[in-house]
Amino acid sequence: MYDFAYHRPKSVADAIALLKGKEEARPMSGGMTLIPTLKQRLARPSDVVDLGDVKELAGIKLEGANVVIGGMTKHAEVATSADVKSHIPALAELAGHIGDPQVRNRGTMGGSVANNDPAADYPAAVVALNATVTTNTGKHAADGFFKGLFETALGEGEIVTSISFPKAEKAAYMKFPNPASRYAMVGVFVAKTASGVRVAVTGAGPCVFRVKAMEEALAKNFSSAAIKDIKVSATDLNSDIHGSAEYRAHLVGVMARRAVDAANK
Amino acid sequence: MEIKGEYRIAASREKVFAALNDQAVLQACIPGCESLEMLSPTEMTAKVRLRIGPVSAAFSGKVTLSDIDPPNGYKITGEGQGGVAGFAKGGAVVALTADGDDTILKYDVDAQVGGKIAQVGARLIAGTAKKLADQFFGKFAERVGAPPPVAAA
Repeated sequence: MYDFAYHRPKSVADAIALLKGKEEARPMSGGMTLIPTLKQRLARPSDVVDLGDVKELAGIKLEGANVVIGGMTKHAEVATSADVKSHIPALAELAGHIGDPQVRNRGTMGGSVANNDPAADYPAAVVALNATVTTNTGKHAADGFFKGLFETALGEGEIVTSISFPKAEKAAYMKFPNPASRYAMVGVFVAKTASGVRVAVTGAGPCVFRVKAMEEALAKNFSSAAIKDIKVSATDLNSDIHGSAEYRAHLVGVMARRAVDAANK
Repeated sequence: MEIKGEYRIAASREKVFAALNDQAVLQACIPGCESLEMLSPTEMTAKVRLRIGPVSAAFSGKVTLSDIDPPNGYKITGEGQGGVAGFAKGGAVVALTADGDDTILKYDVDAQVGGKIAQVGARLIAGTAKKLADQFFGKFAERVGAPPPVAAA
């Protein structure tokens, strides 16, 4: 690890002040991606701003028809929250299968969403549930937030303060995890909310994406039979030692049908 | 790994080819390029700083142009050392074909990455290479195809 200045601010305003004007300063939430990267010397930040003591970023609350989850909420807290389990059980289920117990007790929702790893689970939930990402400077709709491989709409000195998920009428997430890392080879989140039916896929491409053809079919008939003939193109999907693009394209269909069946239970 | 892509550029083949050989244009379009110096008409040294997600690495290396066939295309090859992060090298065969007043630019990239960055980031390399190639050629197409600024009357 290279040397860096470590900061542990108590408020969002202090954290932003520490990040502002320093091009090589990095915010850190759970550190589940940043710390291994630092240990490998694959990044050399001047400053690390640890958000662990920022109390205003923690916690889960109900606001009308939405479950609002603070950016620093750990995966294990989402998985066991009574509010999440009763209003969006699929989200609690998803959180309970991220990584391993160590990751779930350190990693945070805000960190995962801001990092936008192409195989992370949360981006699929944010897009499928049509959640709203709130930051210290404003709000982002789910569709415009995830812009590409590790790229989001977040600007410099902008951190995720909370994410607001609309309650789901029906929802489920199914993933085919890599057996070593538990990252999604392909993960499909299917949700029926007040704003309609959405199908969001993670792990398969460079960034989370929606399958509009499945959404339209499911809007008419929310059953796995309705999407059994819909094929996803392998063009632009990931191809690596774990699986080819064609294999991933096939898995999208399989996981989507399983998710619909699970949502209907 | 190989990556292919295609762009339509609103400019003649001659103009596109000239831009592909223009140091200032290349420097502006290579993602994260901090400097690009001409050693000869076909050799350049480059400093590139890339930030992909959590990883940030500075590469220094050289860029070579070969198989030059104006205005049909050429091959651009880059090779960089990123210190502890590892190394990256890649070549792109660029072919230009005329389509009316426009030019169709096709590229075919072959890239290799080694060292630590390849060990820990194996699952991300193809996506990253595709993204960088798209950034380069996307910016290039935008810059070269842009209408000339209107002169003040």
